[in-house]
Amino acid sequence: MSQSLKPYLTAVRSSLTAAICLEDFSSQLVERHNRPEIEVDNTHNPELILNPMIIARNENEKILIEPSINSVRVSIKIKQADEIEQILVHKFTRFLTSRAENFFILRRIPIKGYDISFLITNFHTEQMLKDKLVDFIIEFMEDVDKEISEMKLFLNARARVIAESYLTPFD
Amino acid sequence: MLQIEPHNLLVQKTLTERIFPDSESLKSIDRIITDFDFTTYHISTFPDEKNLVLISIYLKCYDDLAKYGVVEYLNGKYSKFNEFLTILSGNDIEQGYNYSLVLDTNKIESIDDESKNEVINELALLKRHAIAAPFEQAFTRYDELVQTYANSNTYAEEIQQELQNEKVLVIKYRGLDECIYIKPSFDRVTVIFSTVFQDETDKIFGKVFLQEFVDARKRSVQTAPQVLYSHKEAPLDITNYVQGKKDDENKGYITFVLFPRHLVKGDRRDNCISHIQYFRNYFHYHIKCSKAYMHSRMRFRVKEFLKILNRAKPENVDDEGKAIENRKTASGRRFEVGRV
Amino acid sequence: MASMGTPAVVMDNGTGLTKLGFAGNDSPSYVFPTAISTSTASKTGRGGSGGRSNNLSTKRGLEDLDFFIGDEAIHAATGPNYSLSYPIKHGQIEDWDHMERFWESSIFKYLRCEPEDHYFLLTEPPLNPPENRESTAEIMFESFNCAGLYIAVQAVLALAASWTSPKVQDRSLSGTVIDSGDGVTHVIPVAEGYVIGTAIKNIPLAGRDITLFIQQLLRDRGEPDTSLQTAERIKQQFCYVCPDIVQEFNKFDQYPQEKFAQYIVEYAERKAKVDVGYERFLAPEIFFNPEICSSDYLTPLPTVVDQVIKASPIDVRKKLYKNIVLSGGSTMFKDFGKRLQRDLKSIVNERIHLSEKLSGTQSTGVDVQVISHKKQRYAVWFGGSLLAQTSEFKSYCYTKSDYDEYGPSIVRNFSLFSVP
Repeated sequence: MSQSLKPYLTAVRSSLTAAICLEDFSSQLVERHNRPEIEVDNTHNPELILNPMIIARNENEKILIEPSINSVRVSIKIKQADEIEQILVHKFTRFLTSRAENFFILRRIPIKGYDISFLITNFHTEQMLKDKLVDFIIEFMEDVDKEISEMKLFLNARARVIAESYLTPFD
Repeated sequence: MLQIEPHNLLVQKTLTERIFPDSESLKSIDRIITDFDFTTYHISTFPDEKNLVLISIYLKCYDDLAKYGVVEYLNGKYSKFNEFLTILSGNDIEQGYNYSLVLDTNKIESIDDESKNEVINELALLKRHAIAAPFEQAFTRYDELVQTYANSNTYAEEIQQELQNEKVLVIKYRGLDECIYIKPSFDRVTVIFSTVFQDETDKIFGKVFLQEFVDARKRSVQTAPQVLYSHKEAPLDITNYVQGKKDDENKGYITFVLFPRHLVKGDRRDNCISHIQYFRNYFHYHIKCSKAYMHSRMRFRVKEFLKILNRAKPENVDDEGKAIENRKTASGRRFEVGRV
Repeated sequence: MASMGTPAVVMDNGTGLTKLGFAGNDSPSYVFPTAISTSTASKTGRGGSGGRSNNLSTKRGLEDLDFFIGDEAIHAATGPNYSLSYPIKHGQIEDWDHMERFWESSIFKYLRCEPEDHYFLLTEPPLNPPENRESTAEIMFESFNCAGLYIAVQAVLALAASWTSPKVQDRSLSGTVIDSGDGVTHVIPVAEGYVIGTAIKNIPLAGRDITLFIQQLLRDRGEPDTSLQTAERIKQQFCYVCPDIVQEFNKFDQYPQEKFAQYIVEYAERKAKVDVGYERFLAPEIFFNPEICSSDYLTPLPTVVDQVIKASPIDVRKKLYKNIVLSGGSTMFKDFGKRLQRDLKSIVNERIHLSEKLSGTQSTGVDVQVISHKKQRYAVWFGGSLLAQTSEFKSYCYTKSDYDEYGPSIVRNFSLFSVP
């Protein structure tokens, strides 16, 4: 793990642990409804929304945490140095979101400007262990970077072998 | 599978079944077989004479090939089997196809198995031979140029000019946007492929691959043809010949420079032709294989992520997939469900 | 645009056999086992497991291209370096990694077509979860960029294949499909192109059970060759369905010359003669009298068909009785259709008779008709070929640009072929 990654992840971990502090909260607008307040557009109850927070390692890698009374939205921007990484991140996040129902907390559509978003509600924290959820997000952030760079390495390595084995038989 | 084979497996299989039949009775055949780049074969028997097998081929670029002597070339390839293989011409050619042959399975009985297999293999290479015609013509022109300029100063202005104006052979094998251009010279033959990427991912993967094609020669395969890649801009040699969309973002040109060592007459030249004409198929095949491999990696990664996420569910399954009723810590304390 | 004029590719991937070919042909170009053998040398590195980090250090990194499919796979698996696996279990795709590579090889090596230029028709079993469809579409469009895709239910294609039979007057997509392959026999009711999922029944008796039954009989008699292969050959060459077992036994006793047969097994150096006796008609009889071979499954096929149709909505039942279509290799026995029709008719007539007696009114009767046709063995593939060569086919497909716009969920619904 490189030097700057560790403090970044530590900061994310403690911020997330603090943010995932949720309680059941019935909607104040619609009777007998319960909705993740963070997802409500033009809310009439600004007191339910807490201050969002951005933690950035650099301009390409950042995380947005938007807490509210009964839900937290976590959006991650994954490092993309060039167009290869861009397309790989795009493919990978699409692959994940198309399987969102298995991931409980994964949002099908990321927040604009980010690559992938999670939505954690009080129901999730009631069924799952909060520390482990935070662990998951941290591990996710670590592994995605690793996976993208490995895929890129694979692509280059494969391209090299393919080019060589095409050009060799000419002689 | 690493390389794309030049022969058509299905043509080979169909004819083998026909020439080495399992049972006595001949059934009628009527089937369509495809090959890369909009090539279609039609293998059928005549209604009343089931021993005659009609093999027809359709190629998208046949009009171009016809200009470069494909008929003569194919006739040259197949006329040596004229005892049992009839080449049709003119109106006899099957409607909708470009070149037809009739194989008489009764007459072929008399020859030995090895020669039978040779016939089958040659017929399975029909598409390869058809596309090979312009290459052969260009290479013959190269032979002539070698003779012409053997003793002249090829750096002289006027000779350079002459070479510059050498005719380019164009094969629009996949329509206007994807063509093969062949330009002979006295010390090389330049083969240029124009290619269009339909898909964004393909385009980027393609760039990575092509960069490696360009670099491969510098790094390890020094004897290979030189490869150049240009994005959007057509190489100078062929600018006058390019048709279709000129400033398409997704268009690229791959140039292969074949040197005299690749053009030695005989097996090497044949091999070179077979190999270079399947460049696009090979290239796109491997882009697709890489994507398939990426998929299997991503499937694995998704499984791993799910495992991590499932750890957060206390009464759920553990890593081995066993259900855990009450997970306890080492000191015997329980996790509290729903701890906030 | 690019795919004008190229024939559509029809792929029917079954549990046991894969049928590959082009629309417009009357038989599949390739029929081989749905098997893939992958290199074991790279097992640890594959699929992105823990050994991933040293993946680059393995010299070439081409393990994912080192595999064989079909007959070659089975051949390769006899060697030390490959392990065999079947990516489809019970009709459904289980191992997507292997399936993706199976398709890769099918398309590029065997069919030799550029998927960008062709439309594809794939098949799926009834009750296939929509997620599987999505995964299929994801592979076909994202990996292979295929021009267009249609996923059809196998039973519906089998119905379409029966249109070639002269007995079929109206080309409707309603009927009962009896699909019997190697592993399992399905009875599937289809109404106007939609499978009636709740009424489907499976019978755990199919081709393999018949072969095993023959093998058992051969062993009991102590024939010189009792291999599975011999039993399989006997099944294919000699077996037929008889109208009545007792009478058939009598016939065998009266005319032994005509009825008993001999099968000659040829080895490399010698020949063995295997006598073929009562198994000629007893083996296929297990569909009609399952008790002769199985102790836990006892319902005869005609009864199952009757139950299935009775479980379907009342307004389609007549159509279901009238159009019973056979599909798959194990329905190929001579007179199989005749016997089924007769038995089923007697069940139905008995019931009508009873209800007439109880109610005192005259019934209009129920028409029972079992349709056998020449293309029965590869009926599903053939039906696919038939539909995919129509000029409308492409308008029913989803194209790559549709997929790019809507995402994988687009394939959850395909419009049905309108019946001409």
